[in-house]
Formats: sequence, C-alpha cells, structure tokens
Amino acid sequence: MEKEKKMTEQESLLIIQQMIHTAKQEQKDDGKGWILWGWLLFAASVLTYINLKTQWFSNYFFWNVFGITSLLLLLFSVVRTFFFKKIDKVKTYTAELFQKLNIGFFISLLLIIVAINRGVSPVLGFSLLLGLYGFWILIYGAGLNFKPSIIGAYITWACAFAGLFVETFDWTMVLHATAVLLGYIIPGHLANIEFKKIHEQKK
Amino acid sequence: MFKDLDPILHSQLRLAVMSLLISVKEAEFTFLREKTNATAGNLSVQIQKLKEAGYIEVIKQFKDNYPQTICKITTEGIKAFEQYVKDLQAYLTQK
Repeated sequence: MEKEKKMTEQESLLIIQQMIHTAKQEQKDDGKGWILWGWLLFAASVLTYINLKTQWFSNYFFWNVFGITSLLLLLFSVVRTFFFKKIDKVKTYTAELFQKLNIGFFISLLLIIVAINRGVSPVLGFSLLLGLYGFWILIYGAGLNFKPSIIGAYITWACAFAGLFVETFDWTMVLHATAVLLGYIIPGHLANIEFKKIHEQKK
Repeated sequence: MFKDLDPILHSQLRLAVMSLLISVKEAEFTFLREKTNATAGNLSVQIQKLKEAGYIEVIKQFKDNYPQTICKITTEGIKAFEQYVKDLQAYLTQK
C-alpha cells in the first residue's frame, strides 16, 4: 500500500470490507480435530456394535482401547503445545473462546465418564455424552457461522434423546455412531474442504 | 453538514490496520504486513501514528527467543473507528 494516498469514501469503505473479510478468514477452522475425534469415536462405536453381536472380547473392550488412545493423543498434544508450538501471528476472539470452552468440555466429559464407571447405566451415560457433544458442536457452528455444524448439533441432540428410550447398548452404539458421523465427521470434512479452498486462493 | 472524517483513520494503510485489528483480539506486526502488503518501514511509521493517537497499543516482547511486536486496538480506537464508519455512511447516503 502506498504512503498517505488520498482516498475517496468509496475506497475507504472497500478497504474496511476487504480487511474485515481477510481477518474473518483467519477464524476458519481446518476441521482436523473433528475429523480425528469423529473417526475414532465412530470406529469405537461400530466396533463395539460388532463386538456385541459376535462377542470377540468383553463388551467395553473397544471403548477401553479408545480411552488409552485418547490419553496418548492428549499427552502428544500437551507435549506439542509446550515444546513445538508455532507462535500465533494473530489471536482471534473466537479462538480464545474455543480454548476456554474446550476446558469446560473436557471437564464435563470426564465427569460423565467417571459417572458411567461409578454406576450410571452406559445406555443413559452415552446419551448424556451425546448431549454434551451437541452443545459443543452448536457453539462451534454458531461461533464460526458454519451451518453443517449447527445442523449436526441438532441431529446429535435428537440421537441423545432417542438414546434415552432404547433398551440395549447395541442401539446406543448405533445412535452414537450416527450422531458422530453427522455431527463430527461430515461437518469436519466440509470445514476442511472450505479451509483448503481459502488457502489455495491465497497462494 | 458533514463531519470531517478523522484524518488519522482517513489514510489507506492506517485504515487497513485498524480494520484488521477491530476484527481480532491482537495481531503480530508480520501478520499486518502480510495482509496489507505494506513495506515494513511504511507500516512501522503508520503504526507509530496510530499508537500516538491512542488508537492502538503496541507491545514489544520476546517469545521463544524471537522478537515479537503485537498490536491491539484500544477502547479509544474502537470508538474512533465506529465514529469514522458512521461519518462515512453519512457521506455515502447523502451523495
């Protein structure tokens, strides 16, 4: 940009619009978190469903595997944050809000998981988990004005409600897999496609 | 009668910097340079002017042994920007 160039009112308005649009692009998410967790949760639900029918292992074997994988991923993410994190060139209000909400989400998640292990029925416990997923998906979708996530949140809640009325854990797994597919995986991939498009345009 | 547009903001680069900063919490100097396509020298001068007007806060620090210049819009800056947009709208609707 040139030094101290005289501008018209229309040019001023155009600069404001362009720069606000540019800053908005920084708030786009690559969806990788949703894709990773979505596929892990989906695999755990589908494998548990198959396992319940075939009885290869104990009923919750794949959820235990998922738990160990999650702990390893959490450890990896903590190490990466403290030792290899790139310096952020820009901090957005939404990113800061999401960071804080993430903490709340994981604490609530832990609470439900402990409750399931302390005697809350897994059929009801998984519905509570879906309720929590729906809440986080809605905030994410609303914060980034991303419709697939907003729709995904309502579908997740519908699955959570339906889950309160099923009798057996295999149906809980079907509802869980459906919710994760429509609330995490599909919106995650769509966000990733949009993110890639924006970055290709920049090049 | 039209109100005069704020001369501090009525400049291409300064307006671009303020428009970027109003949309984010804070931004590094390199981010502003990248998005405005300005030269480092010119950007430094304009940032200094915005700082002197009290519209932005400039924080110079070291992070992981790298020097970092962070810019943040101030409350006064937000008010000035909002007023500028209002005045601009008045001009455009009257024309």
